[in-house]
Amino acid sequence: MCDWCMKHGAGGKWYLNARNYSYELAESMNLQAYLEEQWKNFEQVYIRKIMGISSIGLGYKLRMPIIGRVLRWSAERMIHSESRNRNPVRADGHFGQVIPIEEAKLIMLNLAAEPIIQNYCMCRMMQKGIKDVCCINFGVLSTVIEKLPRFIPENTKVRLGREEAAAVLEEQNRKGRVTTVWFQPVPYICAICSCEAPQCGGLRLRMDFGLHTVYKAEYYAEVDPDLCQGCKTCIAGCQFGAIRFSPTLKRVLIDQSKCFGCGLCRDRCPHDAIRLVPRDENPVLRGKY
Amino acid sequence: MRKTKIIIDYSKCGNATGGIDPRQCSKCLQVCDPAVFVRHMAFNVKEDNPYDPQFWQITPVWLSLCTHCGKCVKACPQKAITVTF
Ligand code: SF4
Ligand code: SF4
Ligand code: SF4
Ligand code: SF4
Ligand code: SF4
Repeated sequence: MCDWCMKHGAGGKWYLNARNYSYELAESMNLQAYLEEQWKNFEQVYIRKIMGISSIGLGYKLRMPIIGRVLRWSAERMIHSESRNRNPVRADGHFGQVIPIEEAKLIMLNLAAEPIIQNYCMCRMMQKGIKDVCCINFGVLSTVIEKLPRFIPENTKVRLGREEAAAVLEEQNRKGRVTTVWFQPVPYICAICSCEAPQCGGLRLRMDFGLHTVYKAEYYAEVDPDLCQGCKTCIAGCQFGAIRFSPTLKRVLIDQSKCFGCGLCRDRCPHDAIRLVPRDENPVLRGKY
Repeated sequence: MRKTKIIIDYSKCGNATGGIDPRQCSKCLQVCDPAVFVRHMAFNVKEDNPYDPQFWQITPVWLSLCTHCGKCVKACPQKAITVTF
């Protein structure tokens, strides 16, 4: 379990704690107004100057001596902010974690607050100009997004029942999207996304700039050398470049230091050769999120 | 350190500044494999309905990830993009 489970997990994983989904929590944090402010102009988030600095050319800025280190430190602080005077237009306190599909379904069926909606993926829209119905939002955030026409899918249902939402996530998983659950802002949970690098803003900041906008899952993938037939199906599913085929061994190897534990390889292996192992059970990978 | 510069001619693309509405095109977003560009609502314009912004523009944000492949320059129907160091 990560630090966020210690803080907001009530003894378990942060995203399985019912309190983090509750209206009481959203109300006590005054989130209706906060999220409305954040979502109205969300697409400006990388361009807007924050304390005099925007994300434009972030890779260069992070490489500057001293300034780069200060910038990284303040960006991490912002991403994980729990302070009372959080700023919605900076997306303070907004980060998430990769989860396997079975946990996403469990959340949809039991924990997510109604109303549950499906809407266009913002990242794909702002970075690829593509409208793709795939994000599942719930609780207070649903009613905020419903006021913003650009995210509302045409010719399809917006509000979903629990089973329908779980089915949408499963379909996205089948397509090869990584399932992620989000604090927005911490500790309130109101979204499960089906992400794809590099146009996912969260994965971009993590994979290209090493910022902890997305944590690795509570699991990592392990391949059974006796069951693997070397068909390579799993490799195509990994967005993190963690799997390769070894011509010598005639099977795949998983680089567990790269593995985010999304389970996509496991979900598509025709020979049941991959399983997810709890990160906590491995002395080397434990704590490495 | 060589730093990539990408300039968008906002008189050609960006409907708050006399160009086209990038929502009708977005070719640059689609051809750029590292997804360097972001399409966002314009700053400092008067919107009739702030919940439904109508003025948009393109900003190249993730400059350090640009590989200078030139695909965006070729794809842009307005010839609005320049990529240099
Ligand atoms: S976080 Fe993922 S699914 Fe959600 S909007 Fe971004 S890319 Fe889309
Ligand atoms: S999909 Fe399964 S059997 Fe095929 S290479 Fe991957 S682990 Fe091996
Ligand atoms: S190896 Fe499997 S579980 Fe790990 S990141 Fe790749 S697809 Fe996901
Ligand atoms: S030159 Fe290539 S990599 Fe660079 S912004 Fe244009 S399309 Fe993207
Ligand atoms: S390709 Fe050119 S005209 Fe089209 S959106 Fe991009 S910058 Fe604008």
